[in-house]
Amino acid sequence: MISFRGFGKTYGKQQAVRNLDLNVRAGEVVALLGPNGSGKTTSLKAAAGLVKPTTGVVLVGNPGQPSSEPDARRCLSFLPQRVAFQDSLSGQEVLNFHRQIRGVDAAHAAAALGVASLNGAVARAVSTYSGGMLQRLGLAVALLPDAPVFLLDEPTAALDPDGLEAFYKVIAKSRADGRAVLFTSHQMGDAERLADRFAILVDGVLVADIAGREMKDRLAERGNMRLRVPSLDASTLAGLRVMAPDAVFTDGELVVRGPAGMRPRVIELILARGHQIVDLVAEDGRLDDLYREMVGPQREPR
Amino acid sequence: MNLRLFAAEELKIALRSRWTQIFAVVFAILASGVAAAGYVISGGHGVQDFARTSASLVHLVVLIVPLVSLMLGVLSLSLERGAAEVVFALPVSRRTILLGRLLGLFAALALAQSFGFGLAGLLVYSQSGPEGIGDFVIVLGASFVATAVFLALAAFLSADAFGRRRTRALALALVAWVVGEVFIDLAALGLATLLPSGAASRVLILASLLNPIGALRTGALLLVEGTGAFGAASLALLRFTHGPAGATTLIACSLLAWTLVPAFWAGRRLERTDI
Repeated sequence: MISFRGFGKTYGKQQAVRNLDLNVRAGEVVALLGPNGSGKTTSLKAAAGLVKPTTGVVLVGNPGQPSSEPDARRCLSFLPQRVAFQDSLSGQEVLNFHRQIRGVDAAHAAAALGVASLNGAVARAVSTYSGGMLQRLGLAVALLPDAPVFLLDEPTAALDPDGLEAFYKVIAKSRADGRAVLFTSHQMGDAERLADRFAILVDGVLVADIAGREMKDRLAERGNMRLRVPSLDASTLAGLRVMAPDAVFTDGELVVRGPAGMRPRVIELILARGHQIVDLVAEDGRLDDLYREMVGPQREPR
Repeated sequence: MNLRLFAAEELKIALRSRWTQIFAVVFAILASGVAAAGYVISGGHGVQDFARTSASLVHLVVLIVPLVSLMLGVLSLSLERGAAEVVFALPVSRRTILLGRLLGLFAALALAQSFGFGLAGLLVYSQSGPEGIGDFVIVLGASFVATAVFLALAAFLSADAFGRRRTRALALALVAWVVGEVFIDLAALGLATLLPSGAASRVLILASLLNPIGALRTGALLLVEGTGAFGAASLALLRFTHGPAGATTLIACSLLAWTLVPAFWAGRRLERTDI
């Protein structure tokens, strides 16, 4: 559905993206992550036909066609990072215009509007809209054509909790409907919640392409377990440290870092030695931490 | 279909624009002022007739319409980046989008000018009758031609002007207007004084034809007033073409080229631009 084949983009002397190979299949939601200036937006814009590849090609649809062709863009919807519309138009007029261009009937447009929860403000001029409302209108416009390819550049940046909830539903439905969704985000929570796969760009190079299952495993390995244990003798702690060398016991709290699979054995050992567990909290590793580790030290935007 | 949709959308946006509305009102005031004041200045009373008003209006049109078309053209065609990304990701070719938007803008500015001409025309008609109304219509036509030429130039200047580049495009539009309005004629006249008469004539002819503002002024004056108000460059052109018919044809070709070539290159630039 979306296929980057050796895609590269150079602006002047600056190479924004280098030799990107990435595929997004029908029914798959892929999060394109990376620091500012890593080439995420350039890649997304290339898929939307807004940026011409310097090298390689970006194909969309089935069968794949270069997105620079107007006909190929019939199969895609794009929501830009800072979506904007003509100030003097009302939300309804914006929607009507895009509806006519896309050849969509009025009932479908009303449904798109409903999903974006903009009903109250739709008669007002766009100039009166907040950033979040603009984003919702952009989402409604992007939802109009039922396109099989959905490209979203930082779609949740300006959304309030209701808008976020509506957006999550849109993505879930898109997945269920067999759309290929590629989105960028700096919100790791959104990425973790929505994506089936994670592609990480650093300095224009794809440094990781990780399936959701694999990501879950990796995060589970980096999790920790906090146990409230009134007392713990030294030999038990030594036994625990054979399994989890980082295990720490202070003020009645035992913190054990390590993979989720190790946790039952830790609990068994504590109980077998006659200790009591009063409370237990287990959490997986955070995507933010894993992401920072993959991306490396904080860098200035290029 | 898409062309019509983009043209209708742009017309709606342009008619709602404060700048277009201000232009319509200011143009109406100036045109009516020209109709009312010209006669008084020349010692008469009341409002001058259509023939005299038309000759005066040529200078107003040649001064204001290129500037307004350039500035409003650049302001409208150079979209904010987020808006450009939405529009150009649609399944419509960039040339179709540009052409549709240009047609819509042209229609809006033509309506604004018709409003100004209409008010002035009513004033003249009510005071002096219909004599010479044909000249008045010719000046309105020249005004439309000026709009087309300078919107095409605006399209060329703004083809890669999204986001922060809009300011640069606006500055270039202003420079283009000053150069066309003042510098080319001055430079040609200055150069002509240094050259032998044959070469000087050729320089002046070129200045008349290659400068769209000069071509517009010469063409409109030729049609409205004959050769009476001609300057050195226009007279040189008239001699070169052996009369008004040849001069009019050459000027028409020049203005057509000044519309089509920038519009074509605007489309080409836009197609190659990363948004």
